[in-house]
Amino acid sequence: MTAAAWVCLLAPLAGALLVTLLGTRLSRDGAGYVATASVAVAFGAAVFSFFSLLGRDPEDRAARSDAWTWLSVGDLDVSLGILVDPLSVLMMLIVTGVGALIVAYSIGYMHGDDEERRFFAYMAFFVFSMLLLVESGNFLILLVGWGLVGLSSYLLIGFHHERPSAIAAAKKAFIMNAAGDAAMALALFLLIVNTGALDYGGVFGQVEQLASGEWVVNLVALGLLAGAVAKSAQIPLHTWLPDAMEGPTPVSALIHAATMVTAGVFLLVRCHPIFEAAPRIQDLAAGIGAVTLLVAGLIALVQTDIKRVIAYSTMSQIGYMFLGAGLGAYANGMFHLMTHAFFKALLFLAAGIVIHALLGEQDMRKMGGLRRLLPRTWLFFLIGGLALAGMPPLSGFFSKDSVLASALDAGTYGQILWVAGLIGALLTGIYTFRMIFMVFGGEPSAFVQEHLHKEGDAEGPFWMTSTVAVLALLAVVGGWIQIAGLWHPLASFLDPILAVEREHLALREPSGWEDLLTSVLAVGLGLVGIWLAWRIYGVRRTEAPAGAGLRRVLEQKFFFDEVYDAVFYRPAAGIARMWTRWIEAPLIGGSLRGLAAGTRDAGGRVTQVQTGFLRNYALAIAAGLAVLAVVFLSVRA
Amino acid sequence: MTDWLTTILIALPFAGALLVWGLPFNRFWAGSIALLVSLAEVGLWINVLVDFDFGEHGLQYEQQVTWLSDLDISYHVGFYGFSLWLTGLTVVVMAAAVAYAFWVGRERARTYFGLMLFLTGAIVAVFTAQDLLLFYAAFEAMLIPLYVLVGVWGGGGRLGATIKFVIYTIAGSLLMLVAIIAYGLSEGTFDLVDAGTSGSSWIFLGFVAAFAVKAPLFPFHGWMPDAYRESSPEVAAVLSGIVSKAAVYGFLRIAIAKFPEPAQDFQIPILVLASIGLVYGSLLAFRAPDLRGVIAYSSLAQMSLIALGLFALNDPGFDGAILQSVGHGLVSATLFLLAGGIERRSSTGELALLGGMARGRPALATVLMTTGIVALAVPGSATFAGEFLILAGVFREGWLWAVIGAGSIVLAAMYMLRLVSAALHVRRGSAVSDAALDLRPAELAILVPLVSCLLALSAWPGAISDRAFPDGGSANSVNDRLAAARETADGWTAYGPLEDDR
Repeated sequence: MTAAAWVCLLAPLAGALLVTLLGTRLSRDGAGYVATASVAVAFGAAVFSFFSLLGRDPEDRAARSDAWTWLSVGDLDVSLGILVDPLSVLMMLIVTGVGALIVAYSIGYMHGDDEERRFFAYMAFFVFSMLLLVESGNFLILLVGWGLVGLSSYLLIGFHHERPSAIAAAKKAFIMNAAGDAAMALALFLLIVNTGALDYGGVFGQVEQLASGEWVVNLVALGLLAGAVAKSAQIPLHTWLPDAMEGPTPVSALIHAATMVTAGVFLLVRCHPIFEAAPRIQDLAAGIGAVTLLVAGLIALVQTDIKRVIAYSTMSQIGYMFLGAGLGAYANGMFHLMTHAFFKALLFLAAGIVIHALLGEQDMRKMGGLRRLLPRTWLFFLIGGLALAGMPPLSGFFSKDSVLASALDAGTYGQILWVAGLIGALLTGIYTFRMIFMVFGGEPSAFVQEHLHKEGDAEGPFWMTSTVAVLALLAVVGGWIQIAGLWHPLASFLDPILAVEREHLALREPSGWEDLLTSVLAVGLGLVGIWLAWRIYGVRRTEAPAGAGLRRVLEQKFFFDEVYDAVFYRPAAGIARMWTRWIEAPLIGGSLRGLAAGTRDAGGRVTQVQTGFLRNYALAIAAGLAVLAVVFLSVRA
Repeated sequence: MTDWLTTILIALPFAGALLVWGLPFNRFWAGSIALLVSLAEVGLWINVLVDFDFGEHGLQYEQQVTWLSDLDISYHVGFYGFSLWLTGLTVVVMAAAVAYAFWVGRERARTYFGLMLFLTGAIVAVFTAQDLLLFYAAFEAMLIPLYVLVGVWGGGGRLGATIKFVIYTIAGSLLMLVAIIAYGLSEGTFDLVDAGTSGSSWIFLGFVAAFAVKAPLFPFHGWMPDAYRESSPEVAAVLSGIVSKAAVYGFLRIAIAKFPEPAQDFQIPILVLASIGLVYGSLLAFRAPDLRGVIAYSSLAQMSLIALGLFALNDPGFDGAILQSVGHGLVSATLFLLAGGIERRSSTGELALLGGMARGRPALATVLMTTGIVALAVPGSATFAGEFLILAGVFREGWLWAVIGAGSIVLAAMYMLRLVSAALHVRRGSAVSDAALDLRPAELAILVPLVSCLLALSAWPGAISDRAFPDGGSANSVNDRLAAARETADGWTAYGPLEDDR
């Protein structure tokens, strides 16, 4: 079983190395096939691990495997090791399954790009990094995976490296995530000092002891949460995600929607014993999720770039997952993570077909009337949009409602967040269908008529349409794996790791009326949102009737970028300039110029001591000896 | 035979230098002989590595010949685990530097390559010397060729750079000489293995000043930016990559091992200076206008980080300092050689005039990007492992140090990505012509081994950090180890090789 997990981990790395080392000996398409095959092999291995895990007793479904000691911190040996348990296997299935589809889609999407090989090498490397993150057997390897996904994200956002905006976005993503990494590293130092362990079992086994010093466990949880917030683009460390849309669309689908950005949720679930020992921080996580889902939903209302709308909706949906995981509804959060991976990858890839068909155009204001021109894409997009808006019986309905219903079940704080989540459902309906109506509704715009590329099939080659179709199918049926009141195999599968040592149910099971109330309200509000979008964008095709001030605040994304610029970047650059001018140049560089001149002068003056008179030299020697004698005597004594 | 290995490692480059100086070789043969000797050094070092017993506490490959018995001065050399790694760094980087100089074709080849070989021998001697006067002689012998290499083969401002370099290092060396004499006389021996510990703050500070200049640490780095900018790239690579590590070795082998109480007393001031240097160097690197400026100030930051690890005065700190020394040495050397390559193609290192070099130059882009990523210590890299150990070590001495260090992770990302992007990305810089070539096979043959070392260490950083010092105690947790170290008066000597139990 662990052997299969190792194969799963290493196959994409081998694919990346193969593409890199073969270089031009491999054709461009060949690079795509190698990368796809390597991820597909990983998926096969993940499926194998899944079934061998199922074959065991629920209590026995965890296996560790260590390759070698990666680093010793004092007496603590940290292995390059993996942990195969239900949580990691679920993530492996999602990452490699969705990953294989998206990499295959890229064969069509990236066809004809100058640097296809580099793209596929990066993609395969990303899948490896993400697998390292989810399979990691201890916190240090988790942090390594955490950093490597950030690295591959940087490389892929900046893939079009001649574009200044892409490079700026890539750097921004990396640096914000480096801040998260640094916070996590500090949490790890606290763990080392206070538990003397970094493996999950060792740390979680000592949570009681960790919790005895109350601030310690809170700080550890806070450090981990900071890492999770940065990686999952939650407020306030979210500003990199919309900019990250500079990367090619398959990258947005894989990294910035389906897998990497949900790593924060994975972390909350993986480290739940720590967060449960720090309930205030866990509440904070849920609150951050609620705020993010509202703020991102609001900003999405005024975006005009099709990919940025989907990016903000990703932030918003991850907000739901944080809300769930923060309230202790881990399985519900993981359930939403899974369905979200399906329908959000679907939306991005369908948007990719639109962008591909329009030769790279992403501005929705120039689109319109694509319903008849791209009928299959329209269907796929509609499925994705309905799933996102939480309409039954699509996957998003089941998972979002299960998160919300469990919030209703979680006391007063949960009920407040529940209200936020319902408002979010309304916003989701509006922005999703605003996008759909702007892109597909109405008559074909002049731009579309001019640019829709007509040769061949406008809806893209086989690799693109077939993979999107599979995702569309998953977005429809993916939610049926867990239906409230009927069955919950996913939750039972995850139960052992979530409930093993602590008496805690993986799945919060709200009562029937809570489920019903939530579903009716969420679907109702979603429908209201769709209806509003139809009234505003479908019928009249105008911009939203909002006050100018509010509009500006939303279009400027609540001024986060401006604030960060003023609070971090400018002071850092200013201090650096000041130090260069006032310390480095005059005091450290300049003093030496003075010193050099001084030495020359001193040299001149010393020359005069060389009088040529023997008596002067004799006196000097005697004086020197006397000084030396005094020094030696005093030192000896 | 094995007893002689250390001496051969030291003597072979000196002999090579004499050979190159003495016989009338042409440029090709002078370079070839130098390269051959450098590669032989790598081979000899591997030979030492293979048979090295990392669990052994004492000195290995030891050789001692008494010179002046009255003062107990002797030729005494040998390896500890950590000196073995620093020597390995030396021979690898020197081989790359010699190969680069050979490929570029330096003027006055016989003098030049003779100096490079002489330098190699001197640095190896620094890392193996077990007698203080021998150490001092090697330390000085290392500086003299550098003065000439910077002053004769450097760029336009080489004279000013050399003068600064000479004044700073001579001041440091004189302080060290005084400290050595005072310490040696008070101990009654100059032998590092036999000499006991001392409590004298003044002698300690003499050594610290010398090493702080050499590293350099803030605010003793006045010589550094000019020296790194004006010297030829391979000399800058040697200066920042390995000569700076002589300071690490000195701190560890002398200042900390022989002066446990003063080291403890001055721990806070030194940590403060190191923290300042870390932030200061990082921010100046972020605003430096040229390639070498960024690398130079990032070296200041990295050396400060290593100092943080050393003066954490505990196991993870020491392990991390050695790992980071090797990691930074390789990174810095690779970056300087790459900077040299870029400057040859565009005749400038000004970031504002560079850019867009990735397009059509995949080898340059890959090597620079890889090195840059390792330099900014992305999690999973050898440098990350070193930083992690250092910060884990210094965290025990106070959380604030680790917070500052963690903040510098973010700053490192800022300045390194700026460097990489300024050279490779966005639009083509005005100094970059379309005709500028990708890395040539010869350059790849020099750079790829260095980068491969870094990647191998990233896969297994423990290879160095677990093998720099033998296991000191049997305590199970780091906490206990630290507590034990604090309780015993001579805590440091519990850390294996510094304990000279012959």
